[in-house]
Formats: sequence, structure tokens, C-alpha cells
Amino acid sequence: MPASGRPDQPLRRDIDGGIVAGVCSGIAKRYGIDPIILRVVLGAATLVGGTGLIVYLLAWALVPEEGGRSPSWARLAGRRETWLILSGSTMLLLSLLLLLREWGLWFSDAVVWPVLLAGGGAALIWRQSASSAPPAEPEAPAPVRARPDRPADPVRALRLPTPALGPAAIGAGLVVAAGLVFLWLNDALAPARDVILAVVVVVVALTLILAPWWLRLVRGFDAERAERIRSQERAELAAHLHDSVLQTLALVQKRADDPRAVANLARHQERELRAWLDGGRPDPGESLASSLEAAAAEVEETHGVPIDVVAVGDAPMDERGAALVAAAREALVNAAKFAGGATVQLYAEVGEDRTEVFVRDRGPGFDPDAVPEDRRGLRESIYGRMGRHGGRAVVHSSPGAGTEVELVIER
Amino acid sequence: MKRDADRVSIVAGLAVGGLGVLLLLDQTGLIELRFGYTLPAILACVGAILLAAGLDGRRG
Repeated sequence: MPASGRPDQPLRRDIDGGIVAGVCSGIAKRYGIDPIILRVVLGAATLVGGTGLIVYLLAWALVPEEGGRSPSWARLAGRRETWLILSGSTMLLLSLLLLLREWGLWFSDAVVWPVLLAGGGAALIWRQSASSAPPAEPEAPAPVRARPDRPADPVRALRLPTPALGPAAIGAGLVVAAGLVFLWLNDALAPARDVILAVVVVVVALTLILAPWWLRLVRGFDAERAERIRSQERAELAAHLHDSVLQTLALVQKRADDPRAVANLARHQERELRAWLDGGRPDPGESLASSLEAAAAEVEETHGVPIDVVAVGDAPMDERGAALVAAAREALVNAAKFAGGATVQLYAEVGEDRTEVFVRDRGPGFDPDAVPEDRRGLRESIYGRMGRHGGRAVVHSSPGAGTEVELVIER
Repeated sequence: MKRDADRVSIVAGLAVGGLGVLLLLDQTGLIELRFGYTLPAILACVGAILLAAGLDGRRG
């Protein structure tokens, strides 16, 4: 007696009411039909060409069980044994289909083989598509080196994770192959067969010849890129620590006789460091000009040296702007430390294509070429930082003639 | 001391043994083994061994 349907509920395999894997029983429950009818239809389709068996196995793999258990395929995925089981099942299925074909219980080569290939390919693609959905994982701890200023890339959200690319590509290949096999077996490819054959032969030959070089090239690029990213991250970390912690420690030494000033410096540095460790830099301000003015005010307050700021034009803050402000701040700190208390000047010109910042002081000056290699202030926090963000820094200075730091960045 | 049976070895032994019996019967002329039957038999043999290895690994 047919059960009443449950159209409002998702399709599930009915293990308790089923005979093998509960596929027919589950479909029957869902649509309110007699499972025996489905079993007869599937049995007949299996005997005449084997398509019923293919459909049943796919449903077994893809449809979840009642009670919330994932589909068989999903439970197998990610395990080392999955490929063994998959290969073994495929060979057994192939063996059965070949036997059916030999006995004459066969629908048509032009249908069964393409259906088999397309089914396998579609299962792989669906599997990877499902597994690339955002997993419900526990929230990760806050990254030590988060980059909140990096813009979100909507295209990244559409990309499959790297481990899923291989199976998805195999699946797509199987579906395309199924289409080609179908066309070929039905003589639809006859006019283009010679051309396609020649192209395929050439492509296969070229692939076999070039594959080792290509693989080596890709691996080399990946390794080089990873090393470059690591190196830049290290440089950014070193520059930040230099600009914040090391500079504060130097000020603490300088003001060791003033406990209140030392306590203020320590509190300020602690707040800044905690904010950075918690995943972000201190709010740099909304615009480039206001950020430069804020940086100048902070240096002026911390070091007790007057700073004149002139900013022409303005632009919204971005990653390059933040790097420019950080480099200008470091130049201001250097000027405040070495200018002997004289006024420091900051001049900024923000254009549509480029931004230029000049930091001048009337201090004793120095020979830029004579700066030791281990001094990070100039080398990493100014030159290195500007270079990493596509800009440049030039220091005009000589002993007794003051110093001008020129910072230029293209927008 | 009782030793757990190695399921993969048992399946592999049975599969290869069955294949050997088929070939032997073909040699003696009792059956005529054509390519249309040999290929599925070999595939089934290898498939059964792989499946057994995979399922055994899942349990382990």
C-alpha cells in the first residue's frame, strides 16, 4: 500500500524500510508511491543495459540517510581508503556491465558508456562543490598578524580550495569525455573526427613532452612566491616592532628620570601593541592628510619637538597610504630625535596619480651611505616599507646641512 | 594463540584462485573462455581486492 507523501521534507534514504540501502524506500516515502514499483523499474533498467544499477549506486552515494547521517560519499571523503573503495567499486561495476553486454542484456554502447562517464564526473563535481561550502568550524583564535587593511576579494569566494581542484577537474573531464563519447558513438563527430584526432594526438604528445618542465616551473613559482610572502611578512613585522616597541624603549631610556612620562609611554605602547596583536592596527584615520597630521601630532607629543604640517590635497586611506604614513612617521621620529629640538617640517602633496611627502629638519645632518647595516629605522621602516608598497624613498642629507626625506608613492 | 584473519589476503586469495580455476578449465577444454568473459573476470578480481583493502582500512 502506497505511503502518503512528504513533499515538505528533504529526500532521505530509508534504511529501516529498505532492502539494500533504502534508496527506493526513501524515494517512495518522499513522493508517496509504492516502493515495489520503483524496485521493479530499477531492476528492469539494470537488466536492460545496467543503467538502473548506475542510478541506484549514485543515489546511494549522494542521498543522505534518515537521522541526519551524511551521504556515504561524504563520510568516505577525505579518508585515505576512499580511492581504494572507489577504484574497487568502479572495477566491479565495469565488470558487471561488460558481462551484461556480453550476454546481450544491453541497451546501447552509445548510451550506457556516456551515462556512466557523465554520472561519475557529475558525482565528483557535486562532491567538490558541496565540500567547498564554508564549514561550520569553531572560531579560530585571532591571528597574530591579521591584515585588516587588505581589501576583500569577491572572486576568492568563488574559488575551490586547492585540494578540491584535482577531483573537480577530473569530474569536469569525465563529463566532457562523456559528451564526446556520446557524439562519437552516434556518428555526430564524423566530419570533424580527423581534425580532432590530429589535435588530440598533438596535444597529448606536447603534454607528455612538456609536463615535467611545466610541473617543475609551477613548483618553482609556488616555492618562490611562498618565500617572498614570508620575507615580506618578516620585514613588515620587523618594521612595526622597530617603529613602536624599540622607539618607545629608546624614549624610556631617554626619560628615565621622569617616572610619569615613562609610565605614559609604557601605557601608550601597551595599548598600541595589544591592538596590533588583536588583529588590527590602530585606526589610521579616514584620509591621508588627516592621518599624516595625526602621526605628526603624536610624534610632537611624544618627543616634545614642534612639527609644522602642510598638506595639499587629500585622498582616502588605503594600504599604500598607510605605508606612506608609517614611513613619514618614522622620518618624523628620526628628525625629532636628531634635529636638536628645532622645528621639523612636513610637507605633503597628494595628487591624483602620486603622493609626495617631504620631512625636513635643520639638524646636524648625516651621511646616508654611512648608516650601519644593522640600523633598521632608515633601511626597513622607510626604504624597505616604501619599496614593498611600490613607492620609493630618497634621503637628502649631508653633515651640517640638515636632512630632507622624500617619500613618493604612485596611487 | 588466536590470530585475526587478514580479510584482504582472504579476498585476494579467493579472487586469484577463482581466476586460476577459470583459466585451468579453459585449458582443459571444459569451458571456452573468450575475451568478453576474461576481461570482466580480471576486473572483478582486482576490484574485489581493492574494495576489501579499502573497507579493511576503514575498520582499522
